[in-house]
Amino acid sequence: MASKERTEELLKGLQEAVIAMDEDAAVEYSKAVLDEGIDAYNAVMNGLAKGMDKVGQLYEAQEYFVPELLLCSDALYAGLEILKPHIKAEDEQTKGQVVIGVVEGDIHDIGKNLVKIMFEAAGWTVYDLGRDVKLDRFAEEQQRTNSDIVAMSALMTTSMLALPEAIKLVKARDPKVAVMVGGAPVTRDIAKSYGADGYADNAGQVVKEAARVLSEVRQRK
Amino acid sequence: MASLDRVNALLAGQKVDRVPLYHFVLGFCAKNVGYPIASMYNDPEKSYMAQLWTFEQYGIDGGPDFGYASYGGWEFGGDIKFPSGEWEQAPSHGSFAVQSEEDMNKLRLPDVKKDGMLPLAMEFSKLQDKHGTPISIVLGGNFTIAGNICPVEKVCRWMIKKPELVRQLLRSATDHILEVIGYWAETFGAERVIPNIWEPLASNQIISPKQFEEFVLPYLKESSEKILSMGVRHIYYHICGEQNLNLPYWAQVPMGAPGIVSVGHEVDLATVIKHFGDRCIIVGNVDPVVIQNGTPQEVYQLSKQAIEKGKQAPRGYMLMSGCEIPPMSPPYNVYMMTKAVNDFGWYD
Repeated sequence: MASKERTEELLKGLQEAVIAMDEDAAVEYSKAVLDEGIDAYNAVMNGLAKGMDKVGQLYEAQEYFVPELLLCSDALYAGLEILKPHIKAEDEQTKGQVVIGVVEGDIHDIGKNLVKIMFEAAGWTVYDLGRDVKLDRFAEEQQRTNSDIVAMSALMTTSMLALPEAIKLVKARDPKVAVMVGGAPVTRDIAKSYGADGYADNAGQVVKEAARVLSEVRQRK
Repeated sequence: MASLDRVNALLAGQKVDRVPLYHFVLGFCAKNVGYPIASMYNDPEKSYMAQLWTFEQYGIDGGPDFGYASYGGWEFGGDIKFPSGEWEQAPSHGSFAVQSEEDMNKLRLPDVKKDGMLPLAMEFSKLQDKHGTPISIVLGGNFTIAGNICPVEKVCRWMIKKPELVRQLLRSATDHILEVIGYWAETFGAERVIPNIWEPLASNQIISPKQFEEFVLPYLKESSEKILSMGVRHIYYHICGEQNLNLPYWAQVPMGAPGIVSVGHEVDLATVIKHFGDRCIIVGNVDPVVIQNGTPQEVYQLSKQAIEKGKQAPRGYMLMSGCEIPPMSPPYNVYMMTKAVNDFGWYD
């Protein structure tokens, strides 16, 4: 069993590997975590995920941009691949479940992919429908997975007009399900006018906003 | 002044009676005359006429243009899908020419007379010539073409892990831009051609200003210098999206005498005038989302504010939306820009 100091050292190593975009270091530290008998869930949440949380802050502060965020996520996933199979069943509770996708008519999915990364890093289960998603698929997938939140994005001014239609379809099946929207042309006011429950200006804000929306949803239920 | 005289006078460095209205409007024109949106991109005759008629209807002073932001994908060997669905606005990527490092070995420069949309663009420019409107050729900027040859997420990763591959993509994009403009210059005379270059992928919504300086700026400068040395007089750059942090670098790119710079609503017109006003005509930047989703009064107010700021530009200003006028915009909202330019655009 590793000492408290050694555990702290490895957790910090995982955080820094993610922040430094260092896949090799993320793999090495993850292997050390397992070799030295440190709890895998602790290593994911207080190592890798904490590092990604800092990356989200750097992105919001415009110190990191998409290239850095993508490489940080590569380091994150390299570590997760090693640690995830060792997470104990009782620790496997998810923070929440989200269905995500880019609406029909739109193939621009960089923003959606960044949002997916931030959700996964924070311990959410993500059902990714991809891009150019037929509007009724969001509602169908929410029902199939019983997800708490449906998150949709649009980059074009034309495809953003599909958002209120897709929201209606989700709410028609279950008015208690929350919907979050985002994408370059969407603003908080527009999101509200479309009937969305949540909105994030960028991927760095998504998890915080989702937590707020989730607590509202759970109160409704 | 007659519509085109107004734009030509600004390009010649002369005074104009009123701020020109200079729209970037494609799908909206198709809907306006009952054509499919795809015809704006794959049918030069329909595209030209739909724009010409709509320009007459709305008092738009510029000339029709032909092109789209995902330019480069098809030309370099990928696929493009023309808009057909209810929510589709413009051509989008099917497959990319380069999907892996190995594909880079197969990368070849397109034949500018045969490949992709270029034969259609040439047909369109012959219509511009026939009707006496400015001869333009719409291209992606160097970085945007690179991100259309190879998915932009991969380009982003390579910028940090394998920068030599990104430089190779940018080299091909730059050489291609020069070959296309060389072909247009040879066909119509360099002094008559206005390259119309859009650079959305280099925005700070994707890359950092440092990455812009390192990867984008050297190629932009090179292609601009070489285009101008062909005898082209003006280059139109659409600095699309959030590019505030890139502006000091853009200001180092030669654009002609005068150049033409249009910006999105994300960039303040006063800032643009500070960076480019002494040598470029400034164009912009009413928020397209407000044109589509806002009230007529909001569009009118934003247009008024843009005109008041833009009128301070020493080499002239043209009122435009910050990016394409959304095809589904309420026509009365679009008319509000015409009304604003007529109410507030006159010079003393």
